[in-house]
Amino acid sequence: MHALDCAGLLPIFSLPLPPLVCRRTLLCCFLTSCVSLSSAAPPLPSSPARDHHAVLEAAGPSHVAISAISANMDSFARGRTAILKKQPSHMEAAHFGDLGRSSVNYQAQETRSRLSKTVEQVLRDNVALPYYLQLLEARGAEHLARFWLEAESFRSTSWSRVRAHSLNSVKHSSLAEPAPGPASPKSPDSPTPFGTSPWAEPEDPFFSQTPSGPLTPIRVNVLSRLASTGSSSSSRAGTPVKSQPAGALRELSDKLMKSIERDAVTIFTKYVSPDAARPIPITEQIRNDIVAKICGEDGQVDPNCFVIAQSVVFTIMEQQHFSDFLRSHYFCKYQIEVLTSGSVFLADILFCESALFYFSEYMEKEDAVNTLQFWLAADNFQAQLAAKKGQYDGQEAQNDAMILYDKYFSLQATNPLGFGDSVRMEIESNICREGGPLPDCFTTPLRQAWTTMEKVYLPGFLSSNLYYKYLSDLINSVRTDEFVGGNSSAPGQGTTSDSDRGSNASEGSQTQGTKKVAVKILKNFDEAITVDISSLDPESLYQRPYAGRMTFGKVNELGQFIREAEPEPDVKKSKGSMFSQAMKKWVQGNSDEAQEEMAWKIAKMIVNDVMQQGEHESPVAKSTKVACSRVLHTVAKSTKVACSRVLHTVAKSTKVAYSHVLHTVAKSTKVACSRVLDTVAKSTKVAYSRVY
Amino acid sequence: MATAPYNYSYIFKYIIIGDMGVGKSCLLHQFTEKKFMADCPHTIGVEFGTRIIEVSGQKIKLQIWDTAGQERFRAVTRSYYRGAAGALMVYDITRRSTYNHLSSWLTDARNLTNPNTVIILIGNKADLEAQRDVTYEEAKQFAEENGLLFLEASAKTGENVEDAFLEAAKKIYQNIQDGSLDLNAAESGVQHKPTAPQGGRLTSEPQPQREGCGC
Repeated sequence: MHALDCAGLLPIFSLPLPPLVCRRTLLCCFLTSCVSLSSAAPPLPSSPARDHHAVLEAAGPSHVAISAISANMDSFARGRTAILKKQPSHMEAAHFGDLGRSSVNYQAQETRSRLSKTVEQVLRDNVALPYYLQLLEARGAEHLARFWLEAESFRSTSWSRVRAHSLNSVKHSSLAEPAPGPASPKSPDSPTPFGTSPWAEPEDPFFSQTPSGPLTPIRVNVLSRLASTGSSSSSRAGTPVKSQPAGALRELSDKLMKSIERDAVTIFTKYVSPDAARPIPITEQIRNDIVAKICGEDGQVDPNCFVIAQSVVFTIMEQQHFSDFLRSHYFCKYQIEVLTSGSVFLADILFCESALFYFSEYMEKEDAVNTLQFWLAADNFQAQLAAKKGQYDGQEAQNDAMILYDKYFSLQATNPLGFGDSVRMEIESNICREGGPLPDCFTTPLRQAWTTMEKVYLPGFLSSNLYYKYLSDLINSVRTDEFVGGNSSAPGQGTTSDSDRGSNASEGSQTQGTKKVAVKILKNFDEAITVDISSLDPESLYQRPYAGRMTFGKVNELGQFIREAEPEPDVKKSKGSMFSQAMKKWVQGNSDEAQEEMAWKIAKMIVNDVMQQGEHESPVAKSTKVACSRVLHTVAKSTKVACSRVLHTVAKSTKVAYSHVLHTVAKSTKVACSRVLDTVAKSTKVAYSRVY
Repeated sequence: MATAPYNYSYIFKYIIIGDMGVGKSCLLHQFTEKKFMADCPHTIGVEFGTRIIEVSGQKIKLQIWDTAGQERFRAVTRSYYRGAAGALMVYDITRRSTYNHLSSWLTDARNLTNPNTVIILIGNKADLEAQRDVTYEEAKQFAEENGLLFLEASAKTGENVEDAFLEAAKKIYQNIQDGSLDLNAAESGVQHKPTAPQGGRLTSEPQPQREGCGC
């Protein structure tokens, strides 16, 4: 271990550095003296997410909802692979271990949900990353992430700089990634005259010792040899250096190496040095190791110099901050962004527990839960089998597979799924394979189940009440969090009872701007949902054109006026502070709006109910009469609490509704409309008198 | 099948965890089908079953995720813990080892579920008194030390099976009422359906109870 002791050179640093100081000592002392530079950091991944957000917020939330749902309904098949391919496909597992199931892709693309992320995935995801940074900023820990990102970018760009250099200098150098390889150099043809690298790490043998100083032909030789030993493919390594014009080569090499050095120093001063504004929490030993790697005795900077520090920082981010992130409103916001981006894929739903919760309920209502159950079981079976790696037990695997077979495939299956004979026979042969079934045993029926869920059930789910509810729950999580002082470490579990929530709402504290905007979104989204829930068919969405029409609203089938122009200047605009707005919004039943809303809901229920009744075989008069009176009786009971205004509204709306209803009823039973009307009028009169 | 949107006001997500062979699937089956499965095969990965119960006059549907107890499935089943409102941690009173492993299951449960998740400890196979290996008192103490509800039950006879699920539901419902569980949060494990006003059953005939297991 080369502990560089530059203490003796300290006095030099108060003066401008003399140009004759040799490069190496200059560099090292520079580092150890911890002179801070102000230099531009390498740009972080740009956040198109932020702009996207701004657009969303400006456009208005109901617009978002509408576009999300209509986009969802016809986009599920488009571009799926394209989006999934954006996921990082190479991860250097050796550095960070096997996080998640990324390394085992027995089923190619469909193992990930964009709604469930690991730390590694978040750090490499331009959409999710800003949210994670926001959380870290709130906790004063964002320097960890920024260091990791800069170090990572440094590492990969350094390697490409080295590669670029080596391409120029050595004609047949290969382009392989700098994967960790064995320590021994792969070029027996040109043995290093300087012995093996002092860094006997398993990572990479990038270094060897050369005297520092001006570029000499020896140095060129070494550089090229280093480049070829650094590559993992050995076939063409060791080609002797072509004789190139030394001048151009020297200049290029110098430039590249200098830039690597400069970046390393930048990162060091910003994060690693103890004098940095926000030093990362690493031990002295690691720090010294970094210094050693930056000022190698040959003057070369190890592109992997920060790797150990990165892993330390990564562990901190993962253990201390990540699970809170997953529970925070920042993550909810990210999920909302994904879900309203216009394309939600089955993988997003099936591999995210909270979405799966809703989807399972949907499948049960659709009487298709068997398909889902099979998919879950078989997928889990294959996943655990694939993860075995050397501990594979053929008998055990076969037993497991047989359980699935008996349940779903055999001719006496308890839960038959209707797979054809060919599939069944394929499964049989897979299970009875000598040595036991393989992790792709059920791939064919899994693929079929997947496609069924994707094509048949997912579109319905994405336009269902349940999905609306899921989205609104996500949004509510954000809302609750932001009202409880926007405190990220107390996510979503804050008090929710009306009075408490009101008292907890912070008035004007922190980030007023974002909160206001967020509330605007959420409030309006809520309105949009409230309105939509009562008329759930997709067509009605298309009947409300938003683009370019100067409409204030329209009258729906219940005779209810639905406002379309937002915001409503007379009614909705901030009467009082946000606080009281919030109060009013949540304390249902204390405002006229809420009551009226309830009245409309009841009216709609009545209409639905009567329509249902009217579709039965029983005589129109009898059933309508019975239905109407019973319905109104119940309504009377239940609206006793409400004021008379509710009743009035109900009466009004039912009158309007009835004409529509009667029409339907008459149509379905083919009885004259007038006769029906008569009967209903009679029963209505009866009912009304009871009500009043 | 006609969907009845207002049949239940809430859906709670449960998970059942515990060593292999303690009777998790049998408990679920007894609860949803009211039958004892004598030779049920072990669970592959996860399965779920549902049933509607009533707590404080509210109809609540339980979506119960039954996980495989085998060690080899541990990694895949962990992903189902998230967002559970309630967790049933089961051990077998006739096998001490299943009781000893509870700390490991509890650690997983605490790490992977919400802080407000209600965990209930179930000592199954209470009918096999003769082969008892874990006393009621010590399990009770363990439960108290860790803030868990506790019941001994028997999937075979049905003793305390309903209570097990019900007690957890009551606790969850109570948490909702007093505000410590936000039922409008996405990962709460609770789905809240917009309900008719109190006492409003607007359909003329009572809806058939859907008590069957979903699978």
